[in-house]
Amino acid sequence: MEIKKVLVEIVGEENVRDALAELYVYGSDASIHRELPNVVVRPRTVEQIQKIIEYANNEIIPVIARGAGSGMSGHSVPIDHGIVLDMKGMNRILEIKCEDMYCRVESGVVDDDLNRAIKPFGVFYPPSPASSRIATIGGEIANNASGIRSVKYGATRDYVLGMKVVLADGEIVNLGGKTRVEAAGYQIHRLMVGSEGTLGIIVEATMKFIPLPKLRCLGMATFEKLEDAGNAIANIIASGAEPSMLELMDNIAIEAVNTAMKLGLPDVEAIILFEADGKVKEAVDFEMQGMKEICEKHDGKVTAMSYDAKERTKIYAGRKKLFPALSRYKEGFACTSLADDMAVPYSKMAECAMKIHEIAEKNGIIMTAYGHCGSGVMHTKILMDTTKKEQWEAAKNAVEEVYDYVDSIGGITSGEHGIALSKAPAWKRARKDLVEAMRKIKHALDPNNILNPHKLMDAPDDWLTATPIRYRVKE
Amino acid sequence: MDAKELKKWEAELNICIRCAYCFEGCPVYKELGWESDGARGKIVLSYGLFSGELESSEYIADKIFECTYCRDCVERCSANVSVPDILTAARTDLVNDGYKNEAHLELLDKIKDTGNIFGKELKSPVRNGEVPVLLGCRLLERTEDTKRYLEILEKLGIKPKVVDETCCGMPFGVLGYKDDLATHKEEFRRRFPYKKFICMCTTCVFFIRKNYPDLEAIYVIEEVVKRLPEVEHKKLGTKVTYHDPCNVARGMDMVDEPRSILKEIGVELVELPTSGKQAECCGGGGGLLVTNNPLAEKLAEKRVNQALEIGVDTLVTLCPTCEFNIGNVASKNSGKLKVKNLLDLVWESLK
Ligand SMILES: Cc1cc2nc3c(=O)[nH]c(=O)nc-3n(C[C@H](O)[C@H](O)[C@H](O)COP(=O)(O)OP(=O)(O)OC[C@H]3O[C@@H](n4cnc5c(N)ncnc54)[C@H](O)[C@@H]3O)c2cc1C
Ligand code: SF4
Ligand code: SF4
Repeated sequence: MEIKKVLVEIVGEENVRDALAELYVYGSDASIHRELPNVVVRPRTVEQIQKIIEYANNEIIPVIARGAGSGMSGHSVPIDHGIVLDMKGMNRILEIKCEDMYCRVESGVVDDDLNRAIKPFGVFYPPSPASSRIATIGGEIANNASGIRSVKYGATRDYVLGMKVVLADGEIVNLGGKTRVEAAGYQIHRLMVGSEGTLGIIVEATMKFIPLPKLRCLGMATFEKLEDAGNAIANIIASGAEPSMLELMDNIAIEAVNTAMKLGLPDVEAIILFEADGKVKEAVDFEMQGMKEICEKHDGKVTAMSYDAKERTKIYAGRKKLFPALSRYKEGFACTSLADDMAVPYSKMAECAMKIHEIAEKNGIIMTAYGHCGSGVMHTKILMDTTKKEQWEAAKNAVEEVYDYVDSIGGITSGEHGIALSKAPAWKRARKDLVEAMRKIKHALDPNNILNPHKLMDAPDDWLTATPIRYRVKE
Repeated sequence: MDAKELKKWEAELNICIRCAYCFEGCPVYKELGWESDGARGKIVLSYGLFSGELESSEYIADKIFECTYCRDCVERCSANVSVPDILTAARTDLVNDGYKNEAHLELLDKIKDTGNIFGKELKSPVRNGEVPVLLGCRLLERTEDTKRYLEILEKLGIKPKVVDETCCGMPFGVLGYKDDLATHKEEFRRRFPYKKFICMCTTCVFFIRKNYPDLEAIYVIEEVVKRLPEVEHKKLGTKVTYHDPCNVARGMDMVDEPRSILKEIGVELVELPTSGKQAECCGGGGGLLVTNNPLAEKLAEKRVNQALEIGVDTLVTLCPTCEFNIGNVASKNSGKLKVKNLLDLVWESLK
């Protein structure tokens, strides 16, 4: 096959695969979508990537960068086939510069590996998503990943100082720099953040890091009413408190953890986990006390609070086991990522959680509401029988209703996991002006539309038929 | 291909959220690097075989069989998916579809001919005590060691009953020969007709607990932990590292037991960089020793190097297969690392 021959010349036989089985594996990610690429390549150098892109651009062959393939909306699913670039082989940490508080890494470096490497210097890279054990820095940048501590520390966007990118015509450009501030021209490195592989292949990134906090204190508050918990969260943020984590779990999440994991969480409508960190105990105590009082003011009961690492692990255990618990919540049901990370105004957090339950019930599926509510992200999971056509129809209705509601309260389709395929229809409907502006930028940088085509603003209008879905559905 | 066995796992295949958390510690993925080498990749391939989107092929079979059953993926899984069980189903379907591997067949023929994995006439060290003890193929072959291990039991107040046993059948199950396993299980029960017994081998005890649910197999270590403090023994004052066998730490949740034995016999433990439930696999499980021996040895080499880097000259473990694989590589390398069974140290202490 022609493409394969050219690629073998560039990266060597051992780094190219086109066996159907391999294509099948690289054709899906952590989403519901799947489609086969023509070939998978594992490049090892920037020059190899440059040659691959030049060739693909000349021949107009799609190129899809892939990190761990942990995107939840079909980010790295090759909807138009083409070449999948598995970036995980480019995983060298190139520079750790403590006096200037930055590091330079190849884009295939795994987040946790980076944090392990810099920890001995007393620093950390904070925006890590829950998937940091496998997610690559390139994938995190392309998704603007954020996580449990983003309420205090921000998202990937806030840590990118510069990067090396191979553009769609094969040109290698250095964007941004190594300094904390920059006021020089278009900050195109920031444009790459959240670009989902559609504007360039990130091959190297310079990321800032910050000192590790010396102390951490975690508390748990239980609420008889979900509404009270939502209001407590909004109030904590409005009070000017600085939580380093502020998480919500609804009754379904609690029940799932209790039935599947037998963890014995209190049988209430909602739980909030709140954490503060810092250098000085008085300051951390002050934050914790403030949050505790607000929880209590909203009829919350603070059932645990501890600085001790072991105790904190115990307090966090329910949240940590939430994913496996949801997967085991109801026999025959699987946990899918659809409408799973809406950005919601704080004042609407409680209402949103309740609305999600209402929509789920109406459509005959199960939806939980939980997540990094302190950062304004409302997570859900749809639990459904993925083998049944009617359940997919129900899920589709529920997704539409959730997004219509989120739009009506001034929220945004995705606050964390990105758009790609599953979320594109709702997001395109809600953000017509942005979509047009993005198309112009895409056209300027990738006129042949070779980089992860038909994603984001160019994704199909129906997520359920955008690609075959990865589950076998019985008629 | 008729994916008869995989079909039973449809719900489990759907429950896998494809998060890739199982990449993190998969020894095969870490060594080979393609996604199909990792646990998620193998689950996706199994799904393809189940759904009919993939036809069986040599390529797929290689991937499905290149797994050590170390359960690291299970430990890290977002959804508690039992990856090795799904792979066993996939292996069985592949075999039923006509997949043949000469090395596998040779091994299974040996068991059929002689009742053990070596294909040799091995004589059981018959004892007429009270408590039935199953040795397992590997210990059956190590006659001198086994004599000492049985003496340990005696010193701990257990009178072992050893009979002319046969292989527990693990290789049939793991290599996808379900029907042969069923036949062999009958032979096993005939030769070893006990409901409750002590099992000396890690692999056997884990396999028996899963595949003979009516039998009660006690792992020898459980007895040692219980009885050793009551019996006179000396402190050895040596320094070793301990390699957690996958079936012991992850499979049977025994992380503290071997460590408490080391403490009891006065041996200083220097931990390997990964230990307990996070311990890296030596590469010897899941049939990899026969499926892809160079790969199994490469994984063992990592453990050998890690042990030498932390400055010990002895690595102890519990599983005879780990002992064999790591020991073999250690002696091929520099010979600087001695590999022993924890029971060897217990015996020294009781001597
Ligand atoms: C269980 C689970 C939990 C998760 N939790 C979170 C969370 O808390 N927060 C969060 O933000 N996300 C989360 N995610 C989503 C996802 O893991 C993250 O967004 C992550 O950053 C994706 O990284 P990856 O390496 O897997 O990228 P991939 O999924 O492989 O790719 C993601 C996108 O980035 C592009 N890309 C990858 N590498 C490059 C590159 N070098 N150059 C250009 N484009 C590139 C791809 O083309 C694709 O569009 C979670 C996912 C799972 C499965
Ligand atoms: S059992 Fe071990 S080798 Fe097999 S897929 Fe899981 S982690 Fe990899
Ligand atoms: S960790 Fe579990 S759920 Fe995630 S991909 Fe692996 S097997 Fe599937």
